[in-house]
Amino acid sequence: MTGGMGPRALCLALTVALLTTWASCAPAASAPASPLVRVELLGETQSIRPGGTFWLALHQRITPGWHTYWGVNPGDAGEPTRIEWALPAGFTAGEIAWPYPARFPVGIAMSYGYEREVVLPIPMTAPRGLAPGTPVTLRGQASWLVCDKICIPEEAPVALSLPVATDTPRPDPRGAPLIAAARRTLPAPSPWPASFVATAETVTLTVAARDLAPERIAEVWFYPARWGAIEHAASQRTRVEPGRVTLEVKRGQLAEATATALEGVLVVAERLDGGIARQAFSVRAEPPSGHAALALLWAMALALAGGLVLNLMPCVLPVLSVKALALVGHASGYAALRRHGLAYTAGVLASFAVVAGALLALRAGGEQIGWGFQLQSPVVVTLLAYVLFAVALSLSGVFTVGGRFAGAGQALAGRAGYAGSFFTGALATVAATPCTAPFMGAAVGYAVTQPWTTALLVFEALALGLALPFLLLTLIPAWRRFVPKPGPWMRRLQQALAFPLYASVAWLLWVVSQQAASAGVAAVLAGLLLIAFAAWLYQASRDARAAGRRVATLAVAALAVGAVALGPLTGAVSSTPVPAATRADGWEPFSPARLAELRAAGRPVFVNVTAAWCLTCLVNERVALRAPAVTEVLARKGVATLRADWTNRDPAITRVLGQFGRNGVPLYLLYPPRAAGEPAVLPQILGESAVIDALDKL
Amino acid sequence: MFHLSRRTFLAGTGLAVLAKGGLLIPSPAWAAPKVGAAAPAFTAAATSGQAVSLADQRGKIVVLEWTNHDCPYVVKHYSTGNMQALQKEATGQGVVWLTIISSAPGTQGHVSPRQADELTVTRKASPTAVLLDRAGAVGKAYGATNTPHMYVIDKAGTLMYAGAIDDRPTSRRGDVQGAHNYVREALQAVAAGQPVKTPVTRAYGCTVKYA
Repeated sequence: MTGGMGPRALCLALTVALLTTWASCAPAASAPASPLVRVELLGETQSIRPGGTFWLALHQRITPGWHTYWGVNPGDAGEPTRIEWALPAGFTAGEIAWPYPARFPVGIAMSYGYEREVVLPIPMTAPRGLAPGTPVTLRGQASWLVCDKICIPEEAPVALSLPVATDTPRPDPRGAPLIAAARRTLPAPSPWPASFVATAETVTLTVAARDLAPERIAEVWFYPARWGAIEHAASQRTRVEPGRVTLEVKRGQLAEATATALEGVLVVAERLDGGIARQAFSVRAEPPSGHAALALLWAMALALAGGLVLNLMPCVLPVLSVKALALVGHASGYAALRRHGLAYTAGVLASFAVVAGALLALRAGGEQIGWGFQLQSPVVVTLLAYVLFAVALSLSGVFTVGGRFAGAGQALAGRAGYAGSFFTGALATVAATPCTAPFMGAAVGYAVTQPWTTALLVFEALALGLALPFLLLTLIPAWRRFVPKPGPWMRRLQQALAFPLYASVAWLLWVVSQQAASAGVAAVLAGLLLIAFAAWLYQASRDARAAGRRVATLAVAALAVGAVALGPLTGAVSSTPVPAATRADGWEPFSPARLAELRAAGRPVFVNVTAAWCLTCLVNERVALRAPAVTEVLARKGVATLRADWTNRDPAITRVLGQFGRNGVPLYLLYPPRAAGEPAVLPQILGESAVIDALDKL
Repeated sequence: MFHLSRRTFLAGTGLAVLAKGGLLIPSPAWAAPKVGAAAPAFTAAATSGQAVSLADQRGKIVVLEWTNHDCPYVVKHYSTGNMQALQKEATGQGVVWLTIISSAPGTQGHVSPRQADELTVTRKASPTAVLLDRAGAVGKAYGATNTPHMYVIDKAGTLMYAGAIDDRPTSRRGDVQGAHNYVREALQAVAAGQPVKTPVTRAYGCTVKYA
């Protein structure tokens, strides 16, 4: 199984070949032990199924200080490991699945390969007509180049005998874990779009890596799939920013290697509590020719369409329809109307610029937030509920701004000036924010990974979409024909339109209840009560004499301040805010109480301490925790699954981490069914088999 | 022993990288020459002790061959007679063939002038001259990373080909048979005044043992 052409044999061969006697082949000091690499063929399973696909692996154990080569691109020198198969009839061997390599700089050259130990998985297919019970021997001749400062080609025959059986193959106790571990080192398809720009001297690769937290990234390295695209030995100038990784490196010698696409493997080293974890992604970067501009235009078109849809949202529609009716019905002359439309549009664009600007500035500062981040704060949600509630009360006719009867719409069109229209735009934006996220996903997701100018363009396209119907209504006189003549029906419509707003308020209250404790919800309800009372008082005092009106105005102001002051209470009393995104997919949100309860009931519990900004956590969830085989075993063993989301600061989860000597995620705990048993701590890099093995021990 | 006109330029590149890269480790201070541009000038000592300069070869096609006689990939081409046949064919047509050894003292492939000449005799090789580049300056000027690493320069001193000897990147002798020889192709094209079809390839073999 092991063997190879040692240096002595090689020297002999050389000497004979060269017909020379002095060739300095064997200086005793540097004579390497023979062979430098021990190889063995491993099987993942203990048997083969007729017609089935199964995995073998070539296990190389390499003398320290020496290395073998990456098969995708060995670098500037060297040669990949190969196997020439001599298989029984009907068997076919696939290509070696290459784990991501390490770098071996030698002078001005760079080699890509492996040191100490590597497991190279190989898929095999068995023929259908195999007779169960007979053993099959799979043979091949493995050959490889092994180098430190000098290089030695070695080779050895490899073979593995496996019985043929029709029942489900059992995992090989030695091969299965090694092959499973090797799979963790195979590059996964990159979840992020990538592009590159090649100049005469440099190649710049940009990967829109959304999930990377810059402060946790220890190193990023790009291993090109072919020679000549980049200078392998040159340093890679890496910039990790929120949402983006940029690599600048000297261009390689082969112009055609960067003519179409730049392919390779991106290895990201992430700092974890317990050390450094590496994740490899296969990247295919496209050249920018028009693509970037196209992507931007597409994102802007999407955003515009999304903005249009926003007009129909329950929180936006009432505000706008009333405003539109009031204006079109009352404003005199096209010119004034047009100015109102423009003022309104300016209001929308400006408020979007403010919110998007704040978002981008915070992200640039390293905050892990996305669009809709405002709603992560219960205080902001509360204030939004207050505003919508006040508008709804006005639509219901509880109070009117301005005193004279002009319909509730006048409360909004309000101060007939253009400032009123501008603020209607701002109000529409505020009212629209909760509805933005679900509709804008693609466009906004693209925007936040782009430079801030591009991002702002996308957000402003969204704003324009929101403003467009109203703007067009004011700009195109012919469209006024579609607006019905004003009349008493308008009053009924306004009152009816109040209800979508009340519904929005109810929804926002629910949001608060998810973010804050019940005392917080009570505070918001008290605030709403104060607003309703203030609105009534305000309207009632309109008929009073001047002095009474002044007193009432003061009282209203005091009530409003009181209501606003109650808002922050929701923040103060908020316990563990649970991001809404964590509740789907069968994973319950973690709380110490819930854990105690499940354990008291005698159930085994799996706790996944994770965070949205932890790349390793996300990869683990994808490859291991959400793997069908794992979910199946979890269900079969009746394991309760809790997800502790540490995305936001959370003292309860920090304490759990502390109990296990950690100050960072990921952390995976498997509590046995016996209430008193200690939990097993799973490794930070999870594989399917690691989880299943742990579950099997329950 | 040698003179290198690109040296100041190279040092300049290194400094520029340092200044630009800030905290980053600068790239190695070398640059592979561009195929289609002037081949870097050099002067190096031949085994005879005589200085050989690229500038003196104007008007002749020049082949540069980096070698290390203990490298299995070099052995592949010499033990099969493949390299010698190409040398004989080229020099027979007036091509200047310079075999260059950049192995630093104490590293694999480093030889004295006498040993180098012995190798030429025992291997029945026929280069125009064997140059000893102990300091590696010529090798680094050409970005020579491998043995064998091959370059073809035309009569006007323009670099026309850089890369592997052929398209079989293995150390197996059997692969010489049927391989497509890029150097022979480049020599034929340059002699006929035609563009080289494959001007740049990935050289294969052992790394050059620079100091």
